[in-house]
Amino acid sequence: MNNPEFIRSRWFEDIPVGEFHVFGSHSFTEKEIIEFGKKYSPEVFHTSPEAAFDSEYRGLVAAELHLAAIWMKLMVAYMERFATGVQDGRRNGAGVSVRDMQWFKPVRPGHTITFTYEICEKLDRRVRDKWGIIRSRNEGFNQNNERVFSFEIDILAELAPTADSAS
Amino acid sequence: MDKWQNLEVGQEFETGTLTLSKGDILEFAAEFDPQPYHLETEAAEASIFGGLCASGWQVCALMSRLVSDTFRDQGIAIQGIQTIPNMQWKIPVFAEDSLCATVVVADCKKDVGLLVCDIRVKNQHQKIALTLSMTLRIGTQSTSQSTAESDGSAGL
Repeated sequence: MNNPEFIRSRWFEDIPVGEFHVFGSHSFTEKEIIEFGKKYSPEVFHTSPEAAFDSEYRGLVAAELHLAAIWMKLMVAYMERFATGVQDGRRNGAGVSVRDMQWFKPVRPGHTITFTYEICEKLDRRVRDKWGIIRSRNEGFNQNNERVFSFEIDILAELAPTADSAS
Repeated sequence: MDKWQNLEVGQEFETGTLTLSKGDILEFAAEFDPQPYHLETEAAEASIFGGLCASGWQVCALMSRLVSDTFRDQGIAIQGIQTIPNMQWKIPVFAEDSLCATVVVADCKKDVGLLVCDIRVKNQHQKIALTLSMTLRIGTQSTSQSTAESDGSAGL
């Protein structure tokens, strides 16, 4: 079994393709759905439970990008939990790009979404000779185990120091 | 939703502008993306970004706000995002940066109420911070009737 303690402190070279984690769950409340909606997606089905009844959703639903923000929140928490041995935690993190982000079912107040990721590819591209790029596939499932959300994201991961760079 | 019928491929919209304060950046980061380069000035200066910058997801969320407001002003009702086939963060967004977006209609599937947009979010120096393709579902009479018959949310 892998020791999760070094997930965050690993170098690019140490991250295995195929690694899979169920990394967190979040229950969406009406209050937070409305707060996010008012700021970023002010359609009535994200902001007003009453008006949302007359929309095609027949009730309040979370903004699509609210799921992406919660994905980030849970991912950071998951990585922080295992961030031992790395002072600045900068060996991986910064996102570069996203592919195939899709939403399959509405997320309503009270729904609990569980997120997974799988490392699917390590790209050949290097950034500033210091970072490699890890591609992961991420999915969110609701309390009925229905997939509601998925995407792939490319994230920088720091390359292991070479003899040259260490000296 | 007559306005929707007038959309044409190649049509371009310029959104309004939103300016991000340091407080906005810290607030979003504390809730959704609490990494040092979004929360702590010193750590951010030592990071790849070179300074305290907004979460990429905050930039993405602000993009959706700019797009929502623009289409609402055009009399076009967005019914949700169906897909983001691709999106790239190009440069960091710092405190006091002002963002606006150019939205180009790349495809318009009027029979199924889908609008594909190519979107570029620029800062006040006209540098592109975020670029993406996004498929929106648009309220049309025919689609709202059919979803009403299919008992609400299923398949949306």
